[in-house]
Order: sequence, then structure tokens, then C-alpha cells
Amino acid sequence: MRKTIIKPQLLPFLFLRLNMRYLKNYFIPALTLFLTTTPCSYATSLETINQLQANAVANQLSQHPEWINLLHYEQTNWFNNDYVSQVDDARFFNAEDGKTNPTAELSETINAFFKTDITGDNHAQCKFVARLEWLKEKLPDLQTSLPEVTCKEYLEWRANIPDESVTMVFPAYHLNSPSSMFGHTLIRLDPPADRQGSEWLSIAVNFGANVTDGDNSLFYAFKGLSGGYPGYFIVTPYFKKIKEYNYREKRDIWEYPLNLTAEETRRMVTHLWELRDIQFDYYFFDENCSYRLLELLEVARPGIDLTNEFKLTAIPVDTVRSIEDAGLITAATYRPSQVTVLEYLLAKIPNKNHHLIEAIANDPELTRSSEFTDLPTIEQRQLVEISYKYLRYQQTGTVRDEAIATRSHELLGILNSYPAQQTAPTPTSNNQPEKGHYSKRLTIGYGEENKSNYAELGYKLSFHNLEDNEAGFLQGAQINLGNIQLRAYQDESIRLQQFDVVDIFSLTPRTRLFDPLSWRIYTGAERQYTAGKDRLVAHVTGGAGVAYQPINNNIIYSMLLARIERNSAFDNNITPALGASLGMLHHFGNSTARLELSGEEFDNHEYRHRGLYTQNFVISRNHSIKINATREEQRSIHFSEFGINYQYYFF
Amino acid sequence: MKKVICSAVLLAASSGAFAEAPGGPGCGWGNMLFEGQNGPVHFLATTTNGTSGNKTFGMTSGTNGCSIDGKLTYGGKSMISSIMDRFSEDVAQGSGEALDAVAVIYNIAPEDRATFAAVTHENFKVIFPTAQVTAEDVISSLETVMKSDARLAKYVI
Repeated sequence: MRKTIIKPQLLPFLFLRLNMRYLKNYFIPALTLFLTTTPCSYATSLETINQLQANAVANQLSQHPEWINLLHYEQTNWFNNDYVSQVDDARFFNAEDGKTNPTAELSETINAFFKTDITGDNHAQCKFVARLEWLKEKLPDLQTSLPEVTCKEYLEWRANIPDESVTMVFPAYHLNSPSSMFGHTLIRLDPPADRQGSEWLSIAVNFGANVTDGDNSLFYAFKGLSGGYPGYFIVTPYFKKIKEYNYREKRDIWEYPLNLTAEETRRMVTHLWELRDIQFDYYFFDENCSYRLLELLEVARPGIDLTNEFKLTAIPVDTVRSIEDAGLITAATYRPSQVTVLEYLLAKIPNKNHHLIEAIANDPELTRSSEFTDLPTIEQRQLVEISYKYLRYQQTGTVRDEAIATRSHELLGILNSYPAQQTAPTPTSNNQPEKGHYSKRLTIGYGEENKSNYAELGYKLSFHNLEDNEAGFLQGAQINLGNIQLRAYQDESIRLQQFDVVDIFSLTPRTRLFDPLSWRIYTGAERQYTAGKDRLVAHVTGGAGVAYQPINNNIIYSMLLARIERNSAFDNNITPALGASLGMLHHFGNSTARLELSGEEFDNHEYRHRGLYTQNFVISRNHSIKINATREEQRSIHFSEFGINYQYYFF
Repeated sequence: MKKVICSAVLLAASSGAFAEAPGGPGCGWGNMLFEGQNGPVHFLATTTNGTSGNKTFGMTSGTNGCSIDGKLTYGGKSMISSIMDRFSEDVAQGSGEALDAVAVIYNIAPEDRATFAAVTHENFKVIFPTAQVTAEDVISSLETVMKSDARLAKYVI
């Protein structure tokens, strides 16, 4: 007794121009599909469902770690099994109180799997595929009694998602991009090895906040910190991520193939479908991109615990370390950014030819001049290639420029006139970010300040100082959050010496092709000797300038700075100042030193001039000794400070 | 006991019929070479690794307005328009990842990839005659070039 219902939604379909092409492409496949689809089965008796639910309770399935992971439950109270799911989306749950009740959710999920009044892709069997697979495993009777549902959308999606293996992807930091300051992680789903060379066509799985264009301001960044943005999983072709990170954001990408089996990978992909359009709250520090990916890996390989150590902060590079510690990483490959490639090519071009790069980029006709044609073929080709890449770099993130497009095309034509290149030489790196020192830091030190001795204790939430062990980091990039230093003096007083909320110092050397700004911003509270007394002042200090790299491992810089300070010794509550700095940073290998002259003058004509020397000696990856010496001059006083610190970096 | 026909299946199948025909603007087939990447980097989107209002989920139909050519894997030729700039560069110099990706889109066996690289390199000026060439033109010339090669002809359907 089969009854066909023609839904009103189908009417436009019937009115389509039934030309041969449509008939061939769409109508016939649709018809075939219709005819071969079996009708949904009859509803199973209530007793079967009750029996399965009772079995689930008897086996305590709702407390099973895999169920807890699949529903993203987090235990809020270790003593009485209170759970709350980190998913903030009612569609993710079948039970009314599913967000906080794993047992009810499991019962209702079983119930939902048996529903016969819902069909196709809206059926729980299609929406919660991973839960279904897992329950079938745990409750073998489920398999035989379930109504049959066809999940067309899901199957179509699966056909386009490679599910053979998984690669963890880490777009590293880029200096002049504060938003990249901690890096990022995403997951890449790869096809079988016989699709070799097709990483571009792999699928990237990314967890991020969904922001609207009007939100582009620092104010909204705070919203992100406090969880004001909905977070979603986003699935795109990997080449879009290459464009985004390697090109637009100038970030090198590290790729770590994982040893997840095909079965584990498929389990993860199955669960990923359950998270389609599902909303989590996005928190910048802990429940961020990296944290959610760890949860996916926990679903993929039951029994591994990756998220537990990241309750407070999940800094992407630390999550890579945690995956490495769990034994999942098999290799590391490096995908240099557009800028890295350009700098690499530039280094290969003899200095005498450097002036030709911009000249050819601006006028490809110059390749006919004798100055060019007299060069050896290999140098000619190099020049054309870098000129082309330089042009494209200039166009990154801008709208198409007709003249530049024409010149780019012309240069490609010239490049094409040289013999084909089997493999393009590309920069390599063994400076793996996860091999760098850990993110948190504890320091203990001793020193003398204005002729009184002190002992110092410091804690830093994250991340890296200019002088810290450079392995795994970029030279000239300092990003610190939450640094606090306490000092105990001989008179037994204990004082807060310094509290930096944010401290970013970005030194990007200018080169032939690039002229970036270097800049600095830091804010917090610090001690300043003013009017005969050491005072705790609040301040915001920032500025910009230039940096150059005269020789390898050396950066010299100069900046103009502005400061506003709240100082109890000043007449005004908030006093502005202008300043400048001149400094040099040198990496000796196992040691990094910085020398800086700086000063500022307030609008009340008070001034501070100081010379700073600091050097960090690396003992091992997470241990170092740092010394510093400062000399400060003010209108009526001058004084010195010396200190030595032992620095320990930890997870 | 109730009997239900899963008519949603038919609905879902027919939705493909309303997708844009190949070459439609949603696919980017009309994009010119060096179309560029518009707009500044969105500060907040990079901070939170998010997107601006587009929750794409790897669906090949529906989300990008492209219909799927079932004979080509990975969502088919529509991808070529997205990687056309790098593809042109790789064709010009005779190797590269975008070239590999296009080879995979056409299901070219590993042993024929060198031929693909060589043949496209020789025909750079045919495939990319001007800076104004569109993705649709590129695909069409590429397939003409492939068809005229003994080893590559079989990959063009």
C-alpha cells in the first residue's frame, strides 16, 4: 500500500523546461533515486526501545568516556557527576535537559533513532551519525531493530570529504600581525596516498568565531575574550587556508601528519558532521580553535586525554606539544609564506642584480635590454621569477589592477620561455615551533636597585621575550601576556614591582623588497622612581619605528614612543609623554643580548633617560639565566640597577 | 502502524536541478586571471580564526552556487578558478602544487603527471593567451590541449 505524495515544493521542478540536458543531468538521476529508495520501515514496538534504554542504563553507557566526548560534556563537580556540555545549541541535544544530563540525552537519543514521523536528513539517525555508530557498537540489538533512513545530504557530503588520514596544521606567528600572535591550529583531512601531491585539495577543518564585518575593532576583541562570539566548525578546501595564511597573512605553515588510522579518521569525520552549524561559545584563551580540535582527536582515538591540561589557556603551540606527547605526530613539514619565499629568492640573487627586480616588475620590456640579456641564463630566470612574485605580493589583498595583471602575465610568458623546471627550489626550515621553550615562565632572581638589595619572584602566563631562547620562535618578536613580578627588600617589605597586561614588541627588519614598520605596545603597572619615592604607576606605552638587519642574527631598531602615565607624584591624574628609543638585539646562538637607549619627557617637563643592557644565557630548552643592568637619569637624580634571574619555562 | 514515504529524498535529489549551470557567476568561472583577493585582512576574524558570516561546511553544492560535475573528484573544475593564479605560474615554470592539484582534479595517473606538466608548459600561451582570460576559457583551452595529446586525451571526458 504505497502512496506517493507530490509535495508542493516539487512543483517548480515539474515546470522546468524539460530540455534534453536537464532530462539527462537531473531528471533521470532523480527519478532513479526515487524508484530505488526503500520506504521507511515501520515503527518498532515500544518494548524494544524500552529494553534498549534499560540496557544502556544497566551498562552505564551515559558515563562512558566516549559518550561524554561525543556530547562535549565537561564534569563540573568531581564528587557527584555533574556535567554540562560545552555546546550552546539546542539542536545538538535530543533530551530537553540534554545539555546537563548525559543519561537523559542517551535515552532520548535512542528514542529519536526510532522515530518514524521524521524522514531523511532531518532524522536523528542522519544528524547524529557518530552517536548512532557508537550505540550500535555498544548495543548490538539496536542494529537489527532500527527503522531504515536514507541520509542523502550526509552521504553526499561524505563523498566529498577525504577520510583516510589526518594532518595537524599550525600556521605560525607573523611579526607584524598582532592577531596571529599565538598562532593557530586546524585539522586537515587527507585522501589516500595515491592522490599524492593533492594537499591543496585536502579538506581543512577549522574552529573559529563567526564575526560580522562591522565588528572589526579592539572593543570587539574583548568580546571575543569573554566568550561573546558564537564559534562554529568550518570546513573548506585546504588551498583556501594556504591562500589565507601563506599569502594574505604572511604566515609560514607547519604541517604535522598524525598516525590516526583510517578507522579513527572516519570516526572523527562522522562526528564532525554532527557539529555542522552547531554553536559553541568561542573563548579566545581556553575554549578556542585549538581546544576544540583536541576534542575532535579525543573522539577519533578513544582513551587519549588531550584537553585536561588546558582548562585555563590553550595556546595553539602548546596543544601541538600535547599531541606530540600523546604520540600522534609522525613528521613535520614546512610550507613557507609568500614573503618567506621572496626573501629566500632574494638571498640567491647577486647584489649587483637587485636593482633590476623592481625595474623589471615595473617594466617587463627591460628584459630585452643588454644589461639583462648579457646575464647568464640562470640569473635571468631568477630575476624574472622574483619580479613576478614581487608583483603578485604587491597585489595580495587588493583588487585586481589591470596594468599589474598585464605585466604579471607578460612576466609569466617570459618565465615560460626558459626551460621547464622539474622542482622549484623552496626554503626549508627546521625551526619547528613546538620545539621551542614552553609558554609559561617562572623567574627567581636577586638584584640591587638604587643601592638596596632585593629578591624577586616572577610569573608569566605566556609567551616569549626578545631575549628568550630563540629556538622555535621568530627573531625580533616579543609577545607577553600576564607578567607579574614581586620584590622583597631588606626591610622585609614586599612590593609589586611590575604587572604587564600585554607587552608586544615587533621588530621586522626592512629589506630591499619590504619596508614594514616595527612597533611596540605595552600596558600595565610598574615602579617608577618619582619625586624621591618608588611609586607604582599605571601606564600605556606604544610607538613605531624601523628596524634593519645589518648582519645575520642582528637587528638594530629605532622608535618614536608615546606614553600616558598615572603617577601619584604628578599634578594631573594622567600625564602624557613623548619618547624615543634606539636599540640593538643580537643572537649569539646560545645567548641573546639587547642594548637600548631610551627616554621620555612628560608634558610637565619631567624626564627619564635610561640605558639598558640585558642578556639571556640559555642553559637548556626550558632553563636560562638572565642578567640586566639599567642606568637611569632624571632631572634631580640618577641611579643604577643590576639583577640576575633564573628563568624556568613550563607548560 | 504508520507507513511513511521518504519523499524528502526526492526533494533533496531534485535540489541539484536548481543549482547554477556550470559557468555561472557563483562558481567564479567568469573570474579573470589575477582576480586578486579583495578586502583587507579582518583583524577580528584572524584573532578568533573565524570567518565573516559564512559558515561553510565543505558542501560542494548549495554553498557556492556551483553544480558538481560527477565525473571529476573534489568538487570538480570549479576549484580551478580558485587556484588559477598559482596554476598559471606553475604552468609557466613547469611544476608546482597547483599544477599537481589540477592533475588530481582530472584524475591524471601519477605516471602521466610529468607529461601533463610538460604539455601544459609548452602550451602556456595557448592556455593563458592574455591577462584577461577567464577560468572558463582556461579550462576549455586546457582540455583542448589535453585532447590533442596521446597520453592525456583519455582524461578529458
